[in-house]
Amino acid sequence: MILANGVVLETSEQNDLLNALPGKLNKTLMEEPLDPQIVIDAFDNLGKRIANGEFAELISSIEMSGKDEYIDLAVRMMSREYLEYKLKVELGEKKSELFESNRISCDRVPLGVLFHIAAGNMDALPVVSIAEGLLAGNINILKLPSVDNGLTIKAMEILLEFEPRLKDYIYIFDTPSSDVVAMKKMADMADGIVVWGGDEAVTAVRSLAKPGTRLIEWGHKLGFAYVSGYEDKETELQELAEHIMVTKQLLCSSCQVIYVDTDNFDEVKMFAEEFTNYLNKAAAKYPVDDIGAVAELSIKRRVQLYDDFIGGDYSSKDEVVFYGNNVSVTAVPDSELELSYMFGNVYVKPLPRTEITRVLRSKKEYLQTAGLICSPDVREELAMKILRSGVERVTRAGNMSFYFDGESHDGEFPLLRYTRLINIEK
Amino acid sequence: MRSVSRLLRYKNIYDIKGSESLFVDAMRENCRFQYDNSEDYRKILDGMNFSPDDVKDIDGVARIPFLPTLFFKTHRITSYKSTKHLYKATSSGTNGKFSEIWFDLGSLWSAMIMSLKILKHWKLISARPCNYIVFGYQPKRSNKTAVSKTAFLTTLLAPALHRTYALKYSDGKYEPDLETVLEAIQKYSTKKAPVRFMGFPSYTFFVMQMMEERGISVKLPKNSKIMLAGGWKQFYKEAVDKKTFYELARKTLGVEEENIIEYYGAVEHPILYADCPNHHFHVPVYSRVIIRDVNTFEPLPNGQTGLVNLITPLYKATPLLSVMPDDLGILHDGCKCGCGIESPYLEIIGRVGLKDVKTCAAGAADLLNTNALSKVIEGGEK
Repeated sequence: MILANGVVLETSEQNDLLNALPGKLNKTLMEEPLDPQIVIDAFDNLGKRIANGEFAELISSIEMSGKDEYIDLAVRMMSREYLEYKLKVELGEKKSELFESNRISCDRVPLGVLFHIAAGNMDALPVVSIAEGLLAGNINILKLPSVDNGLTIKAMEILLEFEPRLKDYIYIFDTPSSDVVAMKKMADMADGIVVWGGDEAVTAVRSLAKPGTRLIEWGHKLGFAYVSGYEDKETELQELAEHIMVTKQLLCSSCQVIYVDTDNFDEVKMFAEEFTNYLNKAAAKYPVDDIGAVAELSIKRRVQLYDDFIGGDYSSKDEVVFYGNNVSVTAVPDSELELSYMFGNVYVKPLPRTEITRVLRSKKEYLQTAGLICSPDVREELAMKILRSGVERVTRAGNMSFYFDGESHDGEFPLLRYTRLINIEK
Repeated sequence: MRSVSRLLRYKNIYDIKGSESLFVDAMRENCRFQYDNSEDYRKILDGMNFSPDDVKDIDGVARIPFLPTLFFKTHRITSYKSTKHLYKATSSGTNGKFSEIWFDLGSLWSAMIMSLKILKHWKLISARPCNYIVFGYQPKRSNKTAVSKTAFLTTLLAPALHRTYALKYSDGKYEPDLETVLEAIQKYSTKKAPVRFMGFPSYTFFVMQMMEERGISVKLPKNSKIMLAGGWKQFYKEAVDKKTFYELARKTLGVEEENIIEYYGAVEHPILYADCPNHHFHVPVYSRVIIRDVNTFEPLPNGQTGLVNLITPLYKATPLLSVMPDDLGILHDGCKCGCGIESPYLEIIGRVGLKDVKTCAAGAADLLNTNALSKVIEGGEK
């Protein structure tokens, strides 16, 4: 299905619509810019209706762990309070007249047309991406993820029913990624391309975009924790373990690797063994409900049992795995930042503080969040060391995935990226 | 192994109940052979406190310690001296790890009899020459993966006039060449000889999708068949359901649903599961399937999802008697199918884990954006 100018169309009408689209976009661009208050009113209304259970049937078809928390977050991100705060923090209170001299005035205006590629199956992501694009005043063309369940179009229909003035600012296509011709047409019409996804999606979009088109990449990130002493060991390790189990290590900010400030692998193993108890307790509170993840761990365990019977060493990395109930902690001698097996299967690795920058720089494209556990006297020093190596947020280990209102996203304010500055000589 | 020979001669290839005692005997003989000839296998059985003599009935068969596919990927295990090895099959790699499975002459003979009996049952052997479109790799000496071999071997079921390959080898790697396939389809559609498609469902789907987008449709000659192997794993739960696939095949190629045949099999479990008219993989007399709890490995009743344990006494050179691929599946009561076969049927619903999702059709999955790993992370709220 396609949504254009507030009307739902059949997929077969895609090519006719794409041919007519440049004309439609030009017409909208000539009109007065979109007032952010219209957008805020509309999304606030939509969020309230989701919270009231209006989409219960569609939402119940979504299969994911932590769904309720996710829906809550999505509703919060559509609320008037959140959107007004975001607008204020990211674009400043006065959007216009940023600078005025005798001869030149400066203003911040929408980028124009944004092409959103929501490559994942996170059901509310396309809606959030459109909301940000609209808030900055843009016309939004969105390519749905291949596994969309109809939620996005349904949500936008309801949005437009409440606020028809947004209808020329939203175009949604269910074009498959393999339809390169259509994707290229959409990319050619856009001033900016917003892509959510992994390296493959981002690389594909880079090849699609004309030089000069602004690329806004929200790529995949790897979170980690760094442990160098404690303020309150028991609480801090418990909070880290709960963070791992609550997020199931699925978020960009989730902890994949716990680094211990040492070059001694025996200490790493000791920490891993001890942490297994914490993870076990957290898993009892927030169990893993993904059958595939549990199955994989069971198989790995069985193979390790056979290894013990055979007596040979088949492990290539000298890893030592400590198992809990459906969770595991693996001590690994190298220091590489890598994706864990997720779902409560975390790596513990040595990383002496003198090596922080060298190790993190080798994965600089993937850095985002670090959870820091240390004694108070070294917190600032270690935080700065980690931040200077390219990390964008340093939090307490239990808060790695906590969303702080007004915080930046991957080191940037999205609304700044979705707008541009103009100058007019008087 | 007299029981194996008798099992291979068993007349009704889907008579699970009638063949049970024969199957148990064959399993016990095989288990004894592996135990006596493979030191590693013996250590595993001893460690699990299991003796070949414990295989007294079908419950004993279920208690034989299974070897996961992962085990074959990290270990080289055999029960024959290498001089007796005749043929080595390699699984498609997962993260650079390959299973290496050895076959001796007797095992290959068993495999051939088993395959022929199943193919004959489903009337897939034909003397009429065909044009082939192979959605797999072009055979090459260094390419030992079983998928490429099966894809090629299946083209021998009916004499081949011409073969077109979807994956071409150039500059040291395999690349999809769907344009050439499309040209071949259009060319073959004008000929009299039936066309047979063989290989990954994903690529077959891409070509049909390409045809639909470009508004191309053909009517392939009568008796043309689409034969699918290599897994729907990449599609599981989403993207393409089989109905969509059949509908597209009818629309773009003029091939009806009854001429779309699918196979399931694994290098570590070389049993040919061909689908029945209702597209279900019924278990033949040569194997048994147990679905196990993902946590405790206890057998589950039919209808529940769990790890798939595949059991067969047909092979000797490698202990393949009870293996566990990285698949999650459900075993259904045969009577629920409705095709008349009473043997239970296996439904594969997905892969274990999320990290090792790359399989032989990973390239195709990437194109479709169905890589489970990226989905999870893309799915991750940032």
